[in-house]
Amino acid sequence: MSELTIAMPKGRIFEEAYQMLIEAGFNLPAEVEMSRKLMIEIPEENIRFILAKPMDVPTYVEHGVADIGIAGKDVLLEQEREVHELLDLKISACYLASAGLPNTVMDEIAPRIATKYPHIATKYYKGIGEQVEIIELNGSIELAPMIGLADRIVDIVSTGRTLKENGLVEYEHIADISSRLIANPVSYRMKSARILDLAKRLKQTIEGGVQ
Amino acid sequence: MSSIKMFEKPVGMRDTLPKIFDKTEQLRQQTREFLRVRGYDFIKTPSVEYYDTVGKASAIQDALLFKLFDNQGNTLVLRPEMTTPIVRVASSKLLKEQTPLRLGYFSNVFRAQEVEGGRPAEFEQMGIELIGDETVYADAEVVATVIELLQALHVQDFKVTIGHAGILQCVLSDYTESAIEANALRNLLVKRNYVGFEEAVASFDLPKAKSDALMQFIGEATNIEKIKDIEKYVRKNEALQYMQKLDELLADAGLADYIDFDFTLSSHMNYYTGMLFEVFASGSGFALGNGGRYDGLLTEFGVTTGATGFGLRVDRLLEVLPLPTVATERVLVQFNEATFTKALQLANELREQGVSATLHNADVPVNEANYSRVIHVTKGAIGNE
Repeated sequence: MSELTIAMPKGRIFEEAYQMLIEAGFNLPAEVEMSRKLMIEIPEENIRFILAKPMDVPTYVEHGVADIGIAGKDVLLEQEREVHELLDLKISACYLASAGLPNTVMDEIAPRIATKYPHIATKYYKGIGEQVEIIELNGSIELAPMIGLADRIVDIVSTGRTLKENGLVEYEHIADISSRLIANPVSYRMKSARILDLAKRLKQTIEGGVQ
Repeated sequence: MSSIKMFEKPVGMRDTLPKIFDKTEQLRQQTREFLRVRGYDFIKTPSVEYYDTVGKASAIQDALLFKLFDNQGNTLVLRPEMTTPIVRVASSKLLKEQTPLRLGYFSNVFRAQEVEGGRPAEFEQMGIELIGDETVYADAEVVATVIELLQALHVQDFKVTIGHAGILQCVLSDYTESAIEANALRNLLVKRNYVGFEEAVASFDLPKAKSDALMQFIGEATNIEKIKDIEKYVRKNEALQYMQKLDELLADAGLADYIDFDFTLSSHMNYYTGMLFEVFASGSGFALGNGGRYDGLLTEFGVTTGATGFGLRVDRLLEVLPLPTVATERVLVQFNEATFTKALQLANELREQGVSATLHNADVPVNEANYSRVIHVTKGAIGNE
């Protein structure tokens, strides 16, 4: 049995996904030491986890240094990498939306959009026939309309509390987001038995959990 | 933009240093001989073609083309792959002289520069095209050739995944209510977005029998070991019979172990209407190459006949190939002013035996460690070191 390398996002999603794997019957230690380690070996299952920044998971998988990975749909939409999207894990569900100050219209001449997702925002506004200028930010996106940097923001919304607390309202719903199981195209073929088995067991766990 | 430093190459361009050059050359010779005995003639086409002909007809997307202008203002492309240029030559000249054509190539091809590493803008591709044969035997020959070539090159662990655009089209149009839906599903499969496929099926509001069939199809059709397993999804049709025959021919050739079927395999180009395949090997994170039937491309060049072939990326092939172990003997023949003639004679004798002999002036410093043997030619006898 060949070793399977799984790229996982650090933090809460790792814990949820790890729990799912245990529920799916994988023989994993109940507690993993999550100190500063970037690689965790599980000899019992011949699995190796690599812990990456959520934005970087598809990169590891596309280049084939990880066979499969768990990545947010937002990252997949933004980067459009060549990976197979196998399964919706239905965890960390949220959505992408545009937001801005209440009762405002976008600037007529040069509407400006602040976002962490320049590619998604460009594509979305193109799709609705609107030419916009993108300002890329790395965090605290809500600031942009408040201090006049942009007319709208495009960002992840989970509860809507951050928007509300900063006096912003949602304008358009862009896409639903959740964590996905992705696979490298070569691994998907060369290790198909292991990957399909894992996907099938996870799918059963998800369906069992939802019912 | 920072200024360009003297050591820099344009983004995505790579040097081929002697070690890799040797390995590639060895691969080239071995492949050339392998294909020669199978009746394939090698050809070369220009690096630059017109955008309006080869550029537009090519399966490579527009944004990935490397474009330039000629002095008449025509847009040119650096050839992005070899199939389209070969079809150009075949349709305008070679098919009039001989049919079917069996052509092989080893050529560098170009793609638009990308910022991220691991995506060269120029790389070598090798492949074959079999033009003028519409039968399943031609497709079987192409698939068998790629498998046997990889065996001959000692690629350890590889797989060929075969699909058929006609069968996929049949399934998608049978189980959806409109061409728009079928097309939407096909586009999701081109991107290998199986989650999106399931979401789309759920959103179409199809009769339960149809949506269930599609869900089951997507769960099963990506990994089919026996062609029988797909039969329940497809009306008995020519495409299915074609694939059954192909399966049979490849099994007869003893190649069944290297083959998987995936009937969700799909290309963004709509002139790939028949059998298509991808080649994967352990050791590279990206596919080695692909192939299939492209009769539609010939139609674009005004010829109606069958064509099929494959292309492999040489850079990725080199990644998965075991390093060659043959160490060749390299002799350094050192002379001084008085012994030049004698040294030259000795070097020529060695060269005639096929040994690499470098003639070297002893006054010039040299790193002797790079040679397997060093001979100092002195006035008297020949000294060995």
